[in-house]
Amino acid sequence: MPEPRLISSYLDVLAAQLPASIVEELGDGLAETHRSYLRQGLAPDLAARSAVAEFGDPELIVAGFARVNPARRAARRLLGVGPAVGACWVAALVTSRAWAVPLPARMLAGLVLAAVIALLATSALGTRYRLAARTGAMGLFGIIALDASLIAGVALAGVPLTWVLGLAMAASAARICYAARALRPALAR
Amino acid sequence: MRAEELKGHLDAMLLAALEGGPQHGYAVIEALRQSTGGRLDLPTGTIYPALRRLEQAGLITGSWSVVGGRRRREYRLTPAGDRALSGRRADWRDFSAMVTAALEGGPCPNPA
Repeated sequence: MPEPRLISSYLDVLAAQLPASIVEELGDGLAETHRSYLRQGLAPDLAARSAVAEFGDPELIVAGFARVNPARRAARRLLGVGPAVGACWVAALVTSRAWAVPLPARMLAGLVLAAVIALLATSALGTRYRLAARTGAMGLFGIIALDASLIAGVALAGVPLTWVLGLAMAASAARICYAARALRPALAR
Repeated sequence: MRAEELKGHLDAMLLAALEGGPQHGYAVIEALRQSTGGRLDLPTGTIYPALRRLEQAGLITGSWSVVGGRRRREYRLTPAGDRALSGRRADWRDFSAMVTAALEGGPCPNPA
């Protein structure tokens, strides 16, 4: 039996904002709901209207999926641990007297950090699935690049290893591992 | 029963709906309707994000199968989900006994 137009339009609204696999699952559920109303004796059009009404506002569904978006979850966790990792690095660089980095490099690092925080915050607060997924994935890439640059930078500059610096490097390495692991589900369609 | 009244309990109800064996989304919703005597008033579409959240938490696992030429996602409880359901049941019994005692008077049974 062909899908009623009302149901295809409803699924089109969802498809514009959600990955295909999620829409496929919702489509199956909506078709089952429609069939259930048909079995109760409703006319096809009324059954379609009842099924769509029972499923609820598409924006509510999209917002629900945005909340469980893996990229959004990872962004929230990274924003949560960010101040602690940042404090470790500040303490490490101050105690190692490694602040003598050229001003342009410091400005570049500051700009990259601000951009990564903005991307992660957009993902963490987003109610639109695709925006949250894209900004989250970009933020995860950014955090990997930032942490890798920090570790490589102090290693190449020959900064003496102290326990504070070791702690900061370990925190960054752990963050790289977490972000890399979170990237796969974040990029999944 | 409205969505806001279900807050905090929906996850346990979904786990309970899956206790009898693997189910797809629509069957989970039907099971919930039957077990609540049709009093569950929740937009059906909002159950699906909740199922994904439980899957991400490792409490259920989802897999695709083909039924009548249509791909269908089925969910089943994991051992962690089974343990979580037992814990939530025990918590609920304690909580409901305490609230019942406070609202209706009478002794509050000691927690198990």
